[in-house]
This record gives sequence, C-alpha cells and structure tokens, in this order.
Amino acid sequence: MEAVTITLNGVEVSGYAGTTILDLARESGVYIPTLCYDPNLASTGACRLCLVEDERSGALHASCVTPIAPGMTVNTNSPRVVEHRKKILELMLASHPDICLVCDKGNRCQLRKLAAEMGIGLVTLQRIPQNDVIEEVNPFIERDLSKCIMCGKCIRVDQELVVEGAIDYMDRGTMAKPATLNDMPLEKSECTFCGACVAICPTGALMEKDRIYTGTATNVVTTVCPYCGCGCTICLGIKDGKIIEARPAVDSPVNRGALCVRGNYGYDFINSPQRLRQPLIKVDGELQEATWEEALARVADGFGRIKNENKADALAVFGSSKCTNEENYLLQRFARGVLGTNNIDNGSRLYSAASRTGLGASIGYAGTTGSLDALERSKVIMVIGANPEISAPVVAYAIKRAVRFKGAELIVIDPRDTPLTQFASLWLRPGVGTDVALLNGLARVIIDEKRLDVEFVTRMTDNYAGWAKSLQNYTPGHVEKVTGISKKNLQAAARLLAGAEEASIVYGNGITQHVTGTGAVAAIANLAMLTGNTGRRGGIFALQRENNAHGACDMGALPGFLAGYQSVDDAQNRQRFEERWGCSLPAEAGLSALEMMEAAREGKVKGMLIMGENPVASFPQPALVKKALSSLDFLVVTDMFPTETVKFASVVLPAASFAEKEGTFTNFEGRVQRLHQALEPVGDSLPDVEVLFRLAEIMGSPMPYASHQEVMEEIEEMVPFYRHVAYADTDSMGMDWGDVESNSLGTRRLHKGLFPSGFGRFSPVEYTPPVDVSTDGYPFTLMVGSSRYHFGAGSRSSRSFRLSRFSPTAFLEINGVDAADLGIGDSDTVKVTSAQGELSTTAKVSKTLPQGLLFMPISFPDSPVYELFNTVLDPQAKAPALKSCAVRLERTAGDG
Amino acid sequence: MAKQKKAPRVNLKQIEKIITGYRGQKWPLIPMVEEIQEKVGYIPPESIPVIAGALGLFPSQVQAVITFYEQLYTEPRGKNIVRVCRGTACHVRGGKTILKLVKRHLGVDEGETTDDMEYTLETVACIGVCALAPNIMINKDAYGNMNPKKVARLFERSGKE
Repeated sequence: MEAVTITLNGVEVSGYAGTTILDLARESGVYIPTLCYDPNLASTGACRLCLVEDERSGALHASCVTPIAPGMTVNTNSPRVVEHRKKILELMLASHPDICLVCDKGNRCQLRKLAAEMGIGLVTLQRIPQNDVIEEVNPFIERDLSKCIMCGKCIRVDQELVVEGAIDYMDRGTMAKPATLNDMPLEKSECTFCGACVAICPTGALMEKDRIYTGTATNVVTTVCPYCGCGCTICLGIKDGKIIEARPAVDSPVNRGALCVRGNYGYDFINSPQRLRQPLIKVDGELQEATWEEALARVADGFGRIKNENKADALAVFGSSKCTNEENYLLQRFARGVLGTNNIDNGSRLYSAASRTGLGASIGYAGTTGSLDALERSKVIMVIGANPEISAPVVAYAIKRAVRFKGAELIVIDPRDTPLTQFASLWLRPGVGTDVALLNGLARVIIDEKRLDVEFVTRMTDNYAGWAKSLQNYTPGHVEKVTGISKKNLQAAARLLAGAEEASIVYGNGITQHVTGTGAVAAIANLAMLTGNTGRRGGIFALQRENNAHGACDMGALPGFLAGYQSVDDAQNRQRFEERWGCSLPAEAGLSALEMMEAAREGKVKGMLIMGENPVASFPQPALVKKALSSLDFLVVTDMFPTETVKFASVVLPAASFAEKEGTFTNFEGRVQRLHQALEPVGDSLPDVEVLFRLAEIMGSPMPYASHQEVMEEIEEMVPFYRHVAYADTDSMGMDWGDVESNSLGTRRLHKGLFPSGFGRFSPVEYTPPVDVSTDGYPFTLMVGSSRYHFGAGSRSSRSFRLSRFSPTAFLEINGVDAADLGIGDSDTVKVTSAQGELSTTAKVSKTLPQGLLFMPISFPDSPVYELFNTVLDPQAKAPALKSCAVRLERTAGDG
Repeated sequence: MAKQKKAPRVNLKQIEKIITGYRGQKWPLIPMVEEIQEKVGYIPPESIPVIAGALGLFPSQVQAVITFYEQLYTEPRGKNIVRVCRGTACHVRGGKTILKLVKRHLGVDEGETTDDMEYTLETVACIGVCALAPNIMINKDAYGNMNPKKVARLFERSGKE
C-alpha cells in the first residue's frame, strides 16, 4: 500500500493511504480530543470535537473521518480550531445539566474532562431543555437523557459490536434521542442488557442501576469472567475491598469492549451473605464451624482410613470445570499421587465429553480448531444444536458481525427459533435427535455433487472411501423422511457449506447432550474435513458451557488421562509423571462422574472429594445422586456456597471466588488467560490450590511448589500443548498457544499441530432413532437449555442480586396450539411428568416453538428440571443425555 | 363526537406485497415506506419489523429513518389535512385566534386527527399568500382573509351530519 506524507503540527509524518488524520496523529503521539470516536466502532464524525485545520486550504476537518491526503498541512491546535472546539463544547454543555456534583459518573465523564481541559466553566448560552429520565423497571440500566450528548456511541456499539439493534436515533433536531422501537422501556425491547452501551457512554446518560456498592472505583483489576466458556476479559472496579462494577476490557481479542448481562452484572455473588466463610465439620449430623487445622485433619484422617481399610479405588475425586487450570492440575496430582486413584472426573463430563471423544477420534485434537477471528472471517457459518446468543454471547456477536457486516451467510440448524435465525439465510428445523442423519445427508449431497475439497481430503485425511460408502443410505429422500428437512433445503445447505472459501461449524450442547452426541460430533468433524475447513481456514467451534471446561480436561481431571490427554494405561506417560512427582501412579483408568455416583450407591466408592461442583443440581436424577452421596462414609466438598451438595458433606471447606485468586482459565478456543486477584478471600476461605497444598502436606505427601508460577511452569513442562504459554507472559489478554506454533493464522494448529497422527480420520456414524423424544404416554419432547440471566446449575447466578431479581423463576415454553388443546393459558401452573419424575412450573405460550416440543431453562434450583431425566449414557463419552426427554403435561392451576 | 375512534385494521398482506416489489433494489427503504404510506395512508408501526426483516435492518433503524422525515407518518391521518398558517403575516392578522377556533371546531390539538378520521390538524410556517392573511389550507385549497364566521362556515359546510 502506498504511503502518504503529511505535515502534522510542523512535523512530516507518513501513513498508509486511507488512514485517518486522527489515527495517524495518535500513532505519532499527537493528542486530539474526541468524544464520539471509539477504536472498536466505525467513526461517524458526530461530535466534531476532533476538528483540525488544514492550513493549506483553511478547511476544518473532523479528523476521525478524514483520510490523510498528500501534502496536507494539519494543525491540531490552531487558534481557529481551539475557538471552534470550545464553541462546540459550550453548545453541548448548554443542553447538559450542571449536576456534576452529584453525578455518579464523576471524573470518568469525558465531557467534564474535556471542559476542564479547555478551561470552560459555567456556560452563558441559553439553556436548551432536554429529555429526562426514562422510567424503567429493569435492575441493570438507567437512562437519563438529559445528560445525553448525542454522540451515538450507544447506538453504534449496540448495532456494530453486539449487533442487537435494540436502539437507534428517534425523531430529529432538538427532539432527537436514542430510543427503542416505539420508544418502549428497555425491558420491553430487544435489549439483552449486555451493558456495552453503559460501558461506552462518555457521560452519565447511561448508568448502571441498582448498584449494591456505590462510589468511584479506586483501583481496577483486569481478570477473566467466571461464567461461560468464552473467557471474556473483565475489568473489576474496586473500592474499599469491594467490587463495585465490572466493565468489559476494550482491548480483549475475545470480547472487544462487550460483555453479556451475566458478565456485567453477575459478579456480585461473591458478596453474597451466603458465602461460606469457615470450614464446617459434621458433628452428630449437624455441620458446625471449625478451624482449618481441625477440618483438614479430619479430611486426612477420613481419606486415610478409607484408603487403608479398602483399596485406594474406594476413593473418588470430582474436579470442576469452573476452577483454574492449576487447581485441576493439582487435584489430579492429589488424586493420583496422594490418594492413589484414577477415579477423577470433572463437571464438563455432563456437556462436553461427547465433543472430546468425537473430535479426539476424528481430528486428533479435543476442542475448537480456530479462533474467534477465524470464525468472524468465515464466509459461511453453520450453527447446529447451539444457541450462542444465550450460552456463549460473544460467539453470537462474532457470528452476527460476520453476517451483517462481512457478508457471511448463516445456516442455523435448530428446531427452536433462536435469536440467530433472523440473521440466517437458511434455517433448518430437523426433528429432535435426528442430527446425525442430517449431517450424513449433507455429506452425501456434497460427495454426490462433487463439491468436496479433493486436495484436502486426499492429502490430509484417511478412511475416506470407507466412510463415503457408509453414507449410501443417506439419500436426500431418506433424510427428509427422518429429519423432516426437504430435499431442496438439504441441498441448499450442502451447497452453501461446500461452496464457501472459508466455512465454520459451530455446535453446542444441542449436539453433545444427546445420547448420540459422540456420533454427531464425529459427523460434524467429517463434514468439516470433507469441505477442508478444520482450522486452516474456518473451523469447528465446540462451545463450552463453563469457563474452564477446556482447561479442566487439558489438566487431566479425567479418569483415563493424565494432564495433556496422556493416557494413563501407557507406562511411558505414567513414568514421566512418576519421575516428576516422585511417586507411583495407578495404571488402570478410573471411574467417570456418573459411574462414581453409581459406585457410591453400591458401596464400592466410600469416600469422595468434590471441588466446586454441585452434582445434586447438575446431574440427572437428583434423587439417585442424593442417595449416592448419603451412602458415602466420607464426603468432602469445597465450595463457595452451601449448595444442595454441601448438605451431604462430612467436611466442608470454604473456597475463594474467581476474584479472590490467581491462576489461569482456558477458554473454548484454547486461549489460556490469566486471572488477577482483586480481593482478599472472604472470611477464612482459601483458593483451592492452597487447600490442596495443605491437604497434601497433612496427608504426608507435600507438593513442593513455592508459588503459582511453579505450578504453571510444571504444567508447561508436562503438558505438550501448554509448552509455550510462559506463565509470566500470560497476561490478562491471554496467549493463544496456537499462535506460537506459527505466526501465520492461516496455518494454525491444523497443518502441524492438529492432526497429530498426520491425518484426520473419517469415521462412519450411523443414525439411530432418538430415545430421548416423545413416546407412547409421553406425547411431548421436552428440550432444556440455558437462559440468558442464569447459568449452569444456578448456584452463582441465583445469588446474584440483579440477575435473580430480573428473572426469578423458571418457566415452560409451549406452542400455542398445544396449549389451547390442553386448556393451558399464559402463566398457568402446569405439571410436567416424565417416566422418571415430575415437577411443577409456569407455562409460557410461545409463538415460535413447533408443536409437540416444549422448552424449559435449566439453572433454576427451585425447578430442578433434571428430575425428569434418565441416566442414559452416551456409550462412548459416558455422559448422560441431558438435552431432551419425553414428558406429558397437565394444567394444575390457573393464573393467580 | 362520542364516536369510537376506529382502530384501523392493518392489512399486513398488502404491505408485504409492496415490500416484495422492492426485492433486489438498492437503497429501497425510503421509496418503500413512501409507497406504503401512499397506499395505506400511513406507515403502520406493526409493519416496521416486517420492513426491517425484508431489508436486513433492525426495526429501530427503520424507525429512525421514518421519524427523521417530517413527511412520513406512523399514525393514520384524516381524509382532509387542515393547515393553519402560523407565519408572521398571519400572526399579526390574528392567526393565533384562527388556530384556536379551528381547534375548537374540530376538537383536536395540533398534530391530531379527529375521531371520525375526517380531519388532521397541522400548522405551517407560511404558505406564500401573505396578502390574504390570515390563511388556512384544506388539502390543496387555500382559504384567505379568515375570520371566526368563515371558520365556522368552512367546517360546517364540509362537516358531517
């Protein structure tokens, strides 16, 4: 590209053609004041404060939208510029109230900052009265339009970054304002309360509502959001040892200045009065407060006794996909090295085991193959069995940006109407549980029409012929019969996917939580390989429910694998760890999560350590889990809250929250990001790393680490693909280990790293009719999924003040025709019955749900939807089918 | 005047048909909403999401354009548009009183439409016949030298039974 030279305040500087004066000035260290400019948004030149003078022509230009031109002689501070800038600012102040003294924006107000900078005091211009506060009942955002300066940042961040479109300008001239459709309150609009507009507002016009702690943050700590698998960077504002606000990090490559409602408002569970502050010991059936010494001695004694009286395999350890990499690494060392058992698993078993197994077998790498950037660059994106708008919001933002601004085409495959369907060029609604047939059908069309990536398939994969043969039955006609997707639509989707230069496939729990999950994941991998989209370009994006699901598995909190997916039955692998740890390790693969519970019920497992998980709420058949936990001789739980599981514990150890500890999380992309401690742990609670150190020492096998850094260094040494993550360098922005292998994004992971065997392997997958859909006597198929304002089993989000207040109860979505047939109206109480159990909830009539299908959110501890589920396991992934089940429905009471 | 305001039934089918006519066109929003207004009489708010969906825009964006332009309406308008001039010449010749009288006769305020959908009352800055001030326009006809009697006659004559 050609360089253009201009004179900037008397100095010659050059930039690429197309660079704006503002960007060049910032690069050259010249300050130009701005209000409406933001590096993450397209510039509009709305506020005119960035005016500069071209001394050659005498023209005043808004520097944020004016590209440099050869020979320009720019003065950023000429008397004319200063005069105009001051006048513009005075006009803004003339329609802005003088209430800075009591405005919560305080010194963060950019209008006030600029006024001070330019020496503008009280304005003598005639006042222009402005619109006032808008009455709203939501607990998140407060709009005071009298402070609005019409910079349009809120509108642009909403439309360009989050791509929600809830607000735009309304009316004209002095009446103009940002407004929702029909000027409704935010809670009645499309607004998702992601808070991006509040974070970007330069004045106090958009403010956070209902804050528990007020005041101005005196310190900001940058760390990683503890909710979903996206791993957004958040900046926690601290004052007097309390978090008073959370803001998105503007320069994070993951979330780029946006968060979701959970990330923005959900952090306050750490201040919940229900936090456990003291270790508890069960005495005569009652949990009583104790000191750490007493509690740990009791744990050491309990585990020691069981280990001596039985085999070590009478013990089991359950790690957490919410805890850090270091915690999970030490936990598996504790289980294997100290307790001597491979009975270790983690919470992601419930939602991503199918992903690990399916992808591991096909592409040899158990996770997402590309970065969010690669996703956003894709020309075609297929979303199957996922509702990222809810479960992984920043992934949805990236998809929507790709569609709206980069010309990508979106295929949504989902029986339910999701927020993404309105962006889709093609929306297929297959029958629940028929994904494998659909995916095979797509592959078959691509092969029949010779649209496959022949070069990729021949050079990079094997078993193509065998697999292609297995697709024989999946003719479009047959697929239509099974899935209900017409031949025409099937072909259209196949052509779109195969025709794109870069295509990505995004899938989530709608795939992995079915009984056939592993097979469906393999079918997705087949499709990606067939079209040559596995990370070299495009990729497979496996959404993870929890923040560190990826990391917990990478760290070996798995029954069959040591850290780094090194199989435990391989003596060489064991030897490496044995030498490092100086102890011998058990050779036989241990029990997976659900097997542990079964073994506990049968009395084979007698002692259990549960770190940061709540199986009573998150497992199917809570009654059986309770039975299992109460049959244990000894149960230790470390948690932040007195969860349903804690009630069964012999010893409870209070754990520190994400904001109270150091460590790293690995997001769904595989990006390792570092946490920074913002607060001291509440009460006597401790980070799980510290708990494990102490416990190992008491049990006579101390772990010789002096610091976190040493743990991470050992992880780097022992886990091949964390080798480049130098802990010291893993700052808040994270380090994407794929990048290290090759600086070129185009060749990330896949060519060298991804196919460890050198080849991706096509594996035939046969469609089997679903067992988790409606049957005789249970005429409805109930699907469950996440809800926007809650998360996981709900133990944190239900303790977040604003989230729980805005969306306090569960509901059941039902098609209008079905509802009318059963005489069910909106807000009626209904009873949902499955072969396993029943529960009561409130009906919500939906316009978009197809007949015969019901939907219910998980995450509400009061309506434990998993009561309805059976413990059918995916035979390969050993994960329970937790996506759908067959139910019947009756109305029990009317509204109120 | 106790007549119920007729809740206009929005014919979304008709609007959808108009929208289809613009498929594949560049910058179709403004001509599209103009055509809807011409055929339906106004742009029903219910049609905004439909328009937005067809054009790949957000409903709020469509609303932003419609509310920006004075000549686009999201409320049904009367059969007759009454414009009372509020220009300088009319003002000094009693335009303010004329406006008050018209309001009283029609029973509506500025910018409003009578319940029977006969009249919509608006004001204008000047209609260019200052020599005849004070002036009123009804649809395309100008009425000059207005006085209370004339106002009364005007609305009785064209009034309803």
